[in-house]
Amino acid sequence: MSGGVDSSVAAGLLLEQGHEVVGATLKLWGGASDSGCCSVADVDDARRVAQTLGIDHHVFNYTEEFERHVVAPFVEAYAAGHSPNPCIECNRHIKFDLLFERARRLGFDVVATGHHAQVSERDGRHFLVRGADDQKDQSYVLGYLAEDQLAMLLLPIGAMNKSEVRAHAERLGLRTWDKPDSQDVCFIEASKGREVFLRQRIQLTPAVIVDRASGEAIGSTQGAELMTVGQRRGVLPDRDGERRFVAKVDLAAGRVEVGRLEDILIDTIELDESSLTFSHDELVDGAEILAQWSAHGVAQSATLRRGACWRLDLDVPARPVAAGQSVVFYRASEPTVVEGAAIVAVP
Amino acid sequence: MSLYYFDHAASAPRRDEVADAMAPWQHGVVGNPSGSHKAARDARRAVEEARDEVASFVGAKPGGVIFTGGGTESCDLAIAGVTGHHRRSHETSQILVSRIEHHAVLDAAEKMARDFDDVRVGYIDVDRDGVVDLDSLMNQLSDDTAIVSVMSANNETGVRQPLDGVSALAKSIIPGGVVTHTDAVAAASWVKLSNLTATTDMISICAHKIGGPVNSGALILRNNVTLEAVIPGGGQERGRRGGTVDVAAVVGLAAAVRLTMKELTEVSDRVLDYQEKLVAALSLIPGCEVTGLEALRVPGTVHVTFDDIASDELLFLLDQEGVCASAAASCSSGASTASHVLAAMGVPHERARGSLRLSMGAETTDADVDAVIGILSGVVHRLRSEA
Repeated sequence: MSGGVDSSVAAGLLLEQGHEVVGATLKLWGGASDSGCCSVADVDDARRVAQTLGIDHHVFNYTEEFERHVVAPFVEAYAAGHSPNPCIECNRHIKFDLLFERARRLGFDVVATGHHAQVSERDGRHFLVRGADDQKDQSYVLGYLAEDQLAMLLLPIGAMNKSEVRAHAERLGLRTWDKPDSQDVCFIEASKGREVFLRQRIQLTPAVIVDRASGEAIGSTQGAELMTVGQRRGVLPDRDGERRFVAKVDLAAGRVEVGRLEDILIDTIELDESSLTFSHDELVDGAEILAQWSAHGVAQSATLRRGACWRLDLDVPARPVAAGQSVVFYRASEPTVVEGAAIVAVP
Repeated sequence: MSLYYFDHAASAPRRDEVADAMAPWQHGVVGNPSGSHKAARDARRAVEEARDEVASFVGAKPGGVIFTGGGTESCDLAIAGVTGHHRRSHETSQILVSRIEHHAVLDAAEKMARDFDDVRVGYIDVDRDGVVDLDSLMNQLSDDTAIVSVMSANNETGVRQPLDGVSALAKSIIPGGVVTHTDAVAAASWVKLSNLTATTDMISICAHKIGGPVNSGALILRNNVTLEAVIPGGGQERGRRGGTVDVAAVVGLAAAVRLTMKELTEVSDRVLDYQEKLVAALSLIPGCEVTGLEALRVPGTVHVTFDDIASDELLFLLDQEGVCASAAASCSSGASTASHVLAAMGVPHERARGSLRLSMGAETTDADVDAVIGILSGVVHRLRSEA
């Protein structure tokens, strides 16, 4: 229970379904936060919701594990010029690993969360399916879950849209019913941003911004780590007024390559083999899938290839994808079903 | 389900005698003790009777008793009040505190240093059993030391501190002597404060750890200590703590003090047996280590660490079995957190994560102790077999 409306309602619905429910809030981040799920105010909200529902509530301290498994790798990845997704790492290493282990030890049958996604059981196997609310679907950040985790997971609000969730919260008299959705990385203060956070921890690298087509320097940056491959953030339009996107960040050379969309498109994404996770059966070389590489991105048709390394061949060229991002695979014939995930390899 | 209350160190059960003593002051006309009419005089009499009892509790004069809103406020007033006064006549001021003080003391000291460039905090080390190292104190005492604050017994471990040694150094090393303060909140139920704190200038106590109401405490000045009010208010408590004195709260504190003085020897002797029994039983659990085993401890507290179990999980399962206990260190969200006390003692971090404090009081029975031993052994076994 993060103190948000989704997990509040999830707890309430489980109780109505007759389950014996205990609320748990994970204290993950000990530092300053204004956007996430770890402030004292958020824990207070979760506790008050539990009281309103009449269930026990416990706060579990995972701040050290969070620092070790999420924050430190996040910083290291940026220092190496990659763009990690900390929410995915938190789900992989904290919520669906340490918390699941703890739940088993404490005698619980299942863990429920307020994610907008669904678990579907077919022939004794469990599949992760997109949430019913297209705008809120969170299956992407759960993409690494496999059978043993899915079998122990309940997602009570996954079949609802957000307005239904809020209506339930209001019906249940939960104080979180109109609480705004959290959007940002929980350990980075929205008012200060990623740059301030990273500058406190690493030395950012100054770099020249070079246009890939002409080879001309068209600008500079004080923090090449903040430039995300595939994005336009931080890139000023050139004299010609055309938009340019980041194509490559080379920290060692102090050089960021940018280009017009047509100059930088890619048609293959290499995957880090050690991160490759399949929900059930391993997908075969040549498997047609739908690939999504950002939380709110659109899934693209692709073919999974197993050559010298695992890669995705894209049917339609796309903007380059930053190393460290996760790609989640959805079933081509049934686009809501997750089949696996992997991290984009370092080129 | 039976409830086994082993968290007296967090808050002790309110005694019936305390509630009875407070009752007349909790409804109807209760005069403002600062007033002059009959109702005010009646209230004032109750306050002054309470003051006499609290003074005798620590062996001080009634004029030295400043009623406060609890132990935290008492400690804050001692630190901020004495340092504030010291700053008026010194270019720099040092506050010396032990590393194992309660946050009531640590945070008050750190706030002074944050607010004023001429104030700094020095930390007195402790040994591996959690006892203040007098050499460390001696090495840090300085001509500009405003106050030395060392608790009477630690709230997490129950380990008692050498207050006489602290006072002897504070008074002899620096010409003119340094003001001493002790947070006696965790010791008040167990040790005769008039002896324990006989050489200490200022003593902080609170009511709810000895069977009284929360939000009631006192800072008691034994000697002629001058301090500045943190809450100047309307000049109450001789200008040292403003705000109308809460008659019910101080009457409750006095009632708790009275009971404690009357029962101290009997309860201490009885609970000491329970402590020995618990220590003996817990020592038999593999991987369980009793904290401060070599040191003198108050009878009510048994603090242990486990090498392979997280406090969160232990407390969860104990709670399910009706055992109210604590990891002794928690943050504002309510999550258990790494203890600065154990860190200062050099307890390895992994072990500190498996902390458990069982704390007892006058109401604890032999049967409670037997029950908690059985439940704890079962819970530990279960966590290990599920791992």
